[in-house]
Amino acid sequence: MLRTGFLYDPRFLLHVTGDDHPECPDRLRLIVENLERSGLLGQLMQIKAEKAKQHWIETVHHIRYIMRFEESCAFGMPSIDHDENRICYDSYDTAMLAVGGVLKAVDAVMEGEAANAFCAVRPPGHHAEFDRAMGFCYFNNVAIAARYLQEKWGVKRIGIVDFDVHHGNGTQHIFEKDNTVFYYSIHEHPSFSYPGTGREFDIGMGDGEGFTKNSPVLPGRGDTEYRKRLTDDLLPAMSAFQPQFLLLSSGFDAHVDDLMSGTNLSTEGYNFIFRLLVDLAVRFCGGRLVSVLEGGYHLDTLPILVSNHIKYLADLK
Amino acid sequence: MFVFKDMAKTLINGDETMTVSQARDLMREKDIRHLPITDAAGKLVGIVSDRDIRSALPSDMVDTDSSCREESVMILSRPIGSLMTKDPVCVYPFDTLQDVLLLMQRHRVGALPVVDEDGILRGIVAVGDMLSAFIEVMGIHQPGTLLCVLAPDRQGEMKKLIDTISDEGISTGSILVARGIQGGDGRKAFFPYLLTNNVARVKQKLIEQGFEMLEPVKWYLDQLPKKS
Ligand SMILES: [Zn+2]
Repeated sequence: MLRTGFLYDPRFLLHVTGDDHPECPDRLRLIVENLERSGLLGQLMQIKAEKAKQHWIETVHHIRYIMRFEESCAFGMPSIDHDENRICYDSYDTAMLAVGGVLKAVDAVMEGEAANAFCAVRPPGHHAEFDRAMGFCYFNNVAIAARYLQEKWGVKRIGIVDFDVHHGNGTQHIFEKDNTVFYYSIHEHPSFSYPGTGREFDIGMGDGEGFTKNSPVLPGRGDTEYRKRLTDDLLPAMSAFQPQFLLLSSGFDAHVDDLMSGTNLSTEGYNFIFRLLVDLAVRFCGGRLVSVLEGGYHLDTLPILVSNHIKYLADLK
Repeated sequence: MFVFKDMAKTLINGDETMTVSQARDLMREKDIRHLPITDAAGKLVGIVSDRDIRSALPSDMVDTDSSCREESVMILSRPIGSLMTKDPVCVYPFDTLQDVLLLMQRHRVGALPVVDEDGILRGIVAVGDMLSAFIEVMGIHQPGTLLCVLAPDRQGEMKKLIDTISDEGISTGSILVARGIQGGDGRKAFFPYLLTNNVARVKQKLIEQGFEMLEPVKWYLDQLPKKS
């Protein structure tokens, strides 16, 4: 078994999105309960969250947006930038805590205390843009982690693999001109799925041309297509790029049970992805990988998929 | 929906006395493919496209041939008025995208000059402007999710669909309707573009009401001739 870090903090539940919102605290509660019940939680290295220093948020987000988000929460606004991005008084602090926690997970892996880590955080991050909240996301956890790895740890080439069923528009935009961060995303085809970006012709621009890759998957397709696209698109791209650290935007909403998408990935299909990504990290990054929770809204399936993912990280499967 | 919103309002136009060569240079410089021609009062008298100019000139494949070069020089020094399409098809600023689409299709043109009721040139609308306009009309310049919903072709289905969507508090970017998409089974397809990420519940409700979610690949395979 590998020493796998697990980031969780009960304060992640304080970002309350109101009745009937799919991005709800129960997602995390059920993930952790399931890990506890199976005994897996006890085998993981616990990482405690602490609030990120604002400096790190500013490596990705505009200061005016950061302040606007803080004020919107403090003034009791119901949402920010779109009414589905619900906020409460504690949302800003929770988002700061989520970022800070992910950075601690990065530290744990870089210091060698953990071989890799999974971050069970809320709110998610991959839709969050430089200057606005989007798709239940406020701060782009993974993008900030990439900048942190470069600035604090001097890691030059970061690979980001985003297997949430939605395209990570925020992450793509943040790094589209950057040739030091490779953003790969596999997601439901943008003609059908939120937010409508992430077509194959998005390949990055300027210096970053060739350092963004998207694999759209049509609704109704599942394991076979994912297997094919990851093998044909992701692997050659990463072989060429040679990342030194792998960050995962891990979304579990491509599962057939999850009606948030029209893709039909099975539990086994997800296992294929988990295995492939761990292998990828071993091959290029000395195993160094931090996986960060994005979406996944089917409350019966999500905890099982997360548990499977962690088993692959910990080499228990 | 109206031409005025989507047309190019910066006027780049020529007059009848300018030479073909001058017109060609202006179009190259401004990176445009259609040049409206006006009289001194600003009234539209014609339009010329880069294609009109190219097809008037001898092929540049035979560049070395001196008679060709002479012919080119001669054509290029003629006034543009001799080459332009006179009294071209044009639209008013208060015409609609529908008008532009049908006119472009009927007359096989890539751009239509826009004039006011006195015939004064006010702008031009080209295929590229139509693309932008339709992207906006469909709402797909904003983040959202497209549902593909099959429903029986009878009254009230559209209402049921819209009621379900609005009961969920979801705004709609557009709803396209396609009849006969399922090849004679009497159903029609709705394509609501919802300005939200949050579609799990509305999909569940639509399925409960008997709507079917259409899958593109499955749909395509159903269209293929059946092996007997
Ligand atoms: Zn997602």
